[in-house]
Parts: sequence; C-alpha cells; structure tokens
Amino acid sequence: MNEELYLKSRMGNKNPFSVPEGYFDNFAAEMMRNLPEQPQQSKFVRLRPFMYAAACLVVAILTATIYFFPHDNVEQNIAAVTPTTDTYVEDVADYVMADNIDIYACLASEY
Amino acid sequence: MTDDKLLIEQLSNPKTQRRAFETVVRSYSEQLYWQIRRFVLSHDDANDVLQNAFIKAWQGLSSFHGDSKLLTWLSRIAINESLDFLRRQKNIVSISTDDEEVNVANTLMADDYFDGDETEAQLQQAIAELPEVQRTVFLLRYYDDMKYSDISKMLGTSEGALKASYHIAVKKISEFFKSHD
Repeated sequence: MNEELYLKSRMGNKNPFSVPEGYFDNFAAEMMRNLPEQPQQSKFVRLRPFMYAAACLVVAILTATIYFFPHDNVEQNIAAVTPTTDTYVEDVADYVMADNIDIYACLASEY
Repeated sequence: MTDDKLLIEQLSNPKTQRRAFETVVRSYSEQLYWQIRRFVLSHDDANDVLQNAFIKAWQGLSSFHGDSKLLTWLSRIAINESLDFLRRQKNIVSISTDDEEVNVANTLMADDYFDGDETEAQLQQAIAELPEVQRTVFLLRYYDDMKYSDISKMLGTSEGALKASYHIAVKKISEFFKSHD
C-alpha cells in the first residue's frame, strides 16, 4: 500500500506528546493507593451458586407434585362440560320436534 | 511457566492477587497510557482514563480466564474506556458550545505536554476528526501494529470492515500531508 509507505516516511512513529517528569515512576504506587481493597464481584456472580440450587429445588418440587399428585378431576371436568347421552338426545328431539316414533325409526335405520 | 501464565495464576489467588496486580500495573501502565493518550490527547484525561481502566480490570478479574494475553485484555478495557470518554466529551461539547468550533489543534498548541509544531497539531486534529471506527483502527494499527482480529473483538466490527476503514483513514491522513507539503 503506497499511501501507508508514504505516511511512514512522512510521519514515522514520532510521538509529539510528553508527560510530567517521574509520571510513570510514581503511577503504580498512586494506582495501588486508589485501588479498592478487594475486586468487587457483581451480586449476580456471587449469588449464582444459590440461584442454581434454588432452580434445581423448584424443578424437583414441580416434578414431585406432578408425579405424586396427578390431576384426578380431569375426567370430572370433561364430564361436566359434556352432556349425558340421554339429555343430549332429549334436547335434540325437542329442537327438531321429533316424536318417539320418529326417533325409534331413526335409531333403527342403517344410516 | 510463562510470566503471563504465572501472573494470571497469582491474580486468581486472593492471597497473591493484590501483589500480582501491582506487577501488572508496573509492567503495562506505560504501554496502555500511550494507547489512551493518542485517543484523548490531554495528559490529565489520559491519566484519569488509565486509572479507570485499571480499576475496571481489578473489578473484572474474575471474568478473565486467560483466553487471551493479559495485555490484549487490558488493551481492550483501556480502548473501551477511551472511547467512552470521547463519547461523553462529545456530548458535553455539543451541549456547551454556542456556534464555536472546538479546535483540537489550538488546544494542543496551548498544552504544556504537547511538543509538536503546528503541522503536528493539525495532524492530530485530522486524526481526531476521523469517524470513530476509522480513528480507532488507524491508531491501533498504525502505532501499535495491533492485529485486525484483536481490534475486531474489541469493536465488534468485522475484520473486512476494519481493513476498509484503515485504508480510508490512511488515505485521508496522506491527503492531509500532501496538502501541507
């Protein structure tokens, strides 16, 4: 790249900046004075093991609940919303205004 | 065991951590300072940013697992701190100036810790006016010979985009010199 070569010849790596005398010699000591006592971990990092344990416990409780206490009332719920056969037939008969003779004929037919 | 590996081991041990960190500060502060200074230009600002970078590194020690070299990790923190500083400074300047153009060259010429002449001050202004990615990749690549892969991880920009940005930056700076020849 010719332009980069041109820059290196024109600019080089000259450093126009300077620092106060003794700056780098004194920096480390000043830095260590300003440093907090211990590295500070975020609360999240410190609580992580406890969060994992809590998550495992919740999963275990849910699994045990589902396994040992299955829902028995599912069938009852289904039955509650599904009408019985006899009630259903009576409602349909009223709706279509069919009498008993028509109903017997319907039930006896092949269709 | 290399020096880096030994230091990393000592940094992960609470008993030797602080002493090891002091070694890190002594070993790398000058190199990091100059990386920062080229961004922020002023010595006082560079000193503040460098201290903030080391405090961030100290607080983030548990997140460093030796996946990269220690200096690469520290550089990443230092450059990000420099960029954050420049963004904050840009917001402050845009709020506080009334139609006045902040002139980097004039500020540098008045700075006791700037030893360059007017052309060099104007060169620093030309670099400071580059868009952020171009400026960053130019400073890190040209002065520190940093690998594109490391710069890519630092900025979250693809290596291809960085190479393109570097070439554009070099062209702009070359044009600056040609116009002043």
